[in-house]
Amino acid sequence: MKTYEVFLKRAGKDPFTHVGALEAPDDDLALSFARDCYARRSEGEQMWVVAREDLLVADPTELQMADRAHRHNDGTFLRDLRQAGNAEPA
Amino acid sequence: MRSWDSMEDFEAFLDDGGLVEPDDDMPDAYREAVFRFIELHANSEYMGGLTERDWIAKAPGLANKLTALAKTQDEIGHAHLLYMVAADMGVKTRDEMTADLLAGRTTFHNVFHYRAHSWGDQIAIAYLVDAAALASQQAVFKNCSYGPYKRILRRIIAEEGFHMRNGEELLLKMAKGTSQQHDLMQEGLDRWWWPAVQLFGPDSSPNDVLLRWHIKSERNEVLRDRFVQKMVPQLTAAGFTIPDPDLHQDPDTGRWVSGEIDWDALKAAIAGRGPDSERRLRDARNAWDGAAWVRDALDEAAAVPA
Repeated sequence: MKTYEVFLKRAGKDPFTHVGALEAPDDDLALSFARDCYARRSEGEQMWVVAREDLLVADPTELQMADRAHRHNDGTFLRDLRQAGNAEPA
Repeated sequence: MRSWDSMEDFEAFLDDGGLVEPDDDMPDAYREAVFRFIELHANSEYMGGLTERDWIAKAPGLANKLTALAKTQDEIGHAHLLYMVAADMGVKTRDEMTADLLAGRTTFHNVFHYRAHSWGDQIAIAYLVDAAALASQQAVFKNCSYGPYKRILRRIIAEEGFHMRNGEELLLKMAKGTSQQHDLMQEGLDRWWWPAVQLFGPDSSPNDVLLRWHIKSERNEVLRDRFVQKMVPQLTAAGFTIPDPDLHQDPDTGRWVSGEIDWDALKAAIAGRGPDSERRLRDARNAWDGAAWVRDALDEAAAVPA
């Protein structure tokens, strides 16, 4: 048995959403089981089924490192400049 | 992966509405308690699905057979989803859970230890038991601190809602039917009222960890009382009686008060000593063994290179 992750895309502009997992002996049956388990009542218009072992999983600590101050501009510096009257074009 | 320095920190995280995910370093006691709860739920869906399956052939008329078919798919589907969530907790594999259930080493809900004698019983189950199970599941869903369980419960609850509505529909049909239908329905209600009330369990203990860790959001007695307040007027209005001679309305509050509840019956059922426990488990083992060739064929087919 292999474990598969199931993603569904509901109507319109909604993105694909992870809905759960299942066990199946092979890819064909994984698709069939996924339809039976997760989409018996038209819950999605599109479905992705991915073997869990094929998912590339990012390291959460590296994701935290991505949050650097210099990549944000929260507008405080601009606000200070404006308040000081220095925000006019040079 | 998140971790917590102490149980106090972990509980503060839960009190704050935090959701625990499978790869978090959760305290062992939490993992164990939540796993047991989900395993019990999965076992109950599975055993319920097998019972429902019996009624595909026996239900009167094509429409009722189709409903029984859809409900069987739902219950077995719920078991699939819940066993997956449970297996991902890393306490037991799915095969171990199946083996434990079939050997009687783990438990399932009391209501699946009784026999459904007639179509009236089957409607009473759909009406009373599905409503009781749904109320319990909604209370778990509300503040559930284990992420994968909460997400799966959303879909299970939506489907149990169909079952409950179907139960009410069938009950009202019987209420408006012939006197024979009315009597058949009343007999079903007489047999299933108490098991449904007992399904909520005895009053919650003050140290119930499932409450403290936000798996349950309501105490058992609160849910049970709510169920009685809802069911008594509905059943009475439909012309049925409740098999509880001591049931009365509190003169001050107007609330319905049940007579004494036989908790020994609940304990015996869950321990596998219910009126139909033995046959149900045997039936489950036969179903499992009878389908062994399908599992083997699927495994062999999967082993053949494409």
